[in-house]
Amino acid sequence: MAEAKPQRIKIHWIAQFQEGWSIYKQNILGKIGLTLLVIFALMALFSFLPPLIDPMYHPMTGVDPVISSSTGPSLKHWLGTDFMGRDILSQLLAGARVAFMVGVSAAFMSIFLGTAIGMISGYMGKFVDTFLMRLAEVIMVMPTLLVTLILAALFGQLSIWAIVLVIALFRWPGVSRVIRAQTLSLKQRPFIEAAKVAGASHVRIIFRHIMPNVLPLSFLYMTFRVTSAITIEAALAFLGFGDPSTVSWGMMLQWVWKTGHMFKAPYWLLPPGICISLITLSFYMLGRAMDEVLDPRLRREG
Amino acid sequence: MDLWRYIGRRLAQIVIIFFVILTVLFLVFRLAPGDPITRMVDPDMTPEDAALLIAQLGLDQPLHIQYIYYVKNFFAGQFGDSFHYGQPVLDIIKHRLPNTILLFTTSIILSALVGVFLGKIASWHKGKKTDTGMTIGALVTHTLFLPWLALLLIWIFAYKMGWFPITGMVSEDIWLDPTSQFWQKALDVGHHLVLPLGTLFLFHFGSYLLIMRSSMLETLKEDYILTARAKGLTEKVIRNRHAAPNAALPVVTTVGLSLAFSINGGALTETVFTWPGIGRELVFSVSQNDYPLAQATFLLITLVVLVSNLVVDVLYAYLDPRIRY
Repeated sequence: MAEAKPQRIKIHWIAQFQEGWSIYKQNILGKIGLTLLVIFALMALFSFLPPLIDPMYHPMTGVDPVISSSTGPSLKHWLGTDFMGRDILSQLLAGARVAFMVGVSAAFMSIFLGTAIGMISGYMGKFVDTFLMRLAEVIMVMPTLLVTLILAALFGQLSIWAIVLVIALFRWPGVSRVIRAQTLSLKQRPFIEAAKVAGASHVRIIFRHIMPNVLPLSFLYMTFRVTSAITIEAALAFLGFGDPSTVSWGMMLQWVWKTGHMFKAPYWLLPPGICISLITLSFYMLGRAMDEVLDPRLRREG
Repeated sequence: MDLWRYIGRRLAQIVIIFFVILTVLFLVFRLAPGDPITRMVDPDMTPEDAALLIAQLGLDQPLHIQYIYYVKNFFAGQFGDSFHYGQPVLDIIKHRLPNTILLFTTSIILSALVGVFLGKIASWHKGKKTDTGMTIGALVTHTLFLPWLALLLIWIFAYKMGWFPITGMVSEDIWLDPTSQFWQKALDVGHHLVLPLGTLFLFHFGSYLLIMRSSMLETLKEDYILTARAKGLTEKVIRNRHAAPNAALPVVTTVGLSLAFSINGGALTETVFTWPGIGRELVFSVSQNDYPLAQATFLLITLVVLVSNLVVDVLYAYLDPRIRY
């Protein structure tokens, strides 16, 4: 897909950023995505607030003393309450925090792994390359969600960080393939030859000369990895294998589904699903807009 | 022929990859906390039956001997008995597999065909309203949270409208009635199939649309399209006969590469609709701690992904004469 990237000579990072931003701004979908993400970030930020106002707004343990079943939206509970009388809005806010936490940390780890492995594989070639790429293939044929399910079966309840770790460990191969292809083409360029002739070590070549050229691509893939991490965690929680001590959007959907409220309580069924779908969509749009910044061929009239 | 050598090489790779997965799964199941015997032998079994099964699976042997047993049993189709069903795992899989194939393959084929068709149209109207609408529609449906989409469809079309059954794959009154004709049964399954198929279709067609669209835009810049224009061919002929078949190739690759990802979605859909397939069985077996069933279904799914990847590679080589291995 987005493989051959234009060679960028290092000018000033700030100038480069400004140039990229001016292209990004022209992309309407990119702007919508960014706006939505800011809203979600604010939600995550304000998730600390409700429990401070009143303990009954605590997303996990707070129960309204006078409500013991699911009720529709009211002044006291803007989005209604769940089957135990917990406030849905504060759960939704807490869910935003979990989504960012899971998405960004899992994506960061898998991108880190994918970039490092891709560069090493492409640069070293030979046995190292064969070994790493076969390893990538082994991981790629295993559906991540099902792997996590099997691990949950064997090791019992997985904590949220264990889930993040598993997602990170199983989502790097796609990235590493792209980075490897990019590294292979960079390796042929004269400036790498020049660095070698000048006596630079392998480590120096990889980190000083190859890495700056593949990093934009890594960041692009990070947005797509964020979406996949959020979806996998949500699906896992939905199936009942999430971390029982965190309130995530997937968990909320599981509660609606398992307590048989899906036909009775649209005020409860709709918000978490809309949030998961929208946050995925916004990261996706962000990624596509970034793709346009990085790849001039994709720009309008290009 | 070169193609056969290529297939042979890929086949060898697949066998190796599968063995690696088989081995990793063996180690994970044996090294996880807890006793492997309690994990593979149903706690409700009589002691005699349990002893027989332990001997059959080699669980009383040291680890490396166990591994030999494990591989041998795998090729003999011996996966032990399911705790929950009390039947050989292989029998359960045999019953569930056709259901999954029915739902999964129809959804992939349908969404790929529609995605390619719509992607072609979108690319042709690049920058216009049709294109913008389709791109946004594809982005939105593709990023919907799949189980939630399934719940929504059930809520609207099965619960509110009452057009389709809420869950399951067959209606008992039709299937248990000896006077039912084959077509009645087929119609019944088709009726149950609509919503899960619709869920998977809505979720998948968008990605094919987007890929087809960008691939078409690339293809339209090729020299042979210019040649076709210079020859005075109509736009329709250029689009349908010259550009589209070439542009559809990346879609074929994507179907193969995203298969593992699609299987996640398939398992979720089967679970929400209680469609009696392999994916639901895996989710169910995990929640029941039915380890023999979980292990076997997982292996089967990876095997299917591997083989399908090979099929896609071969198909690609067949479809694109420029690619010769």
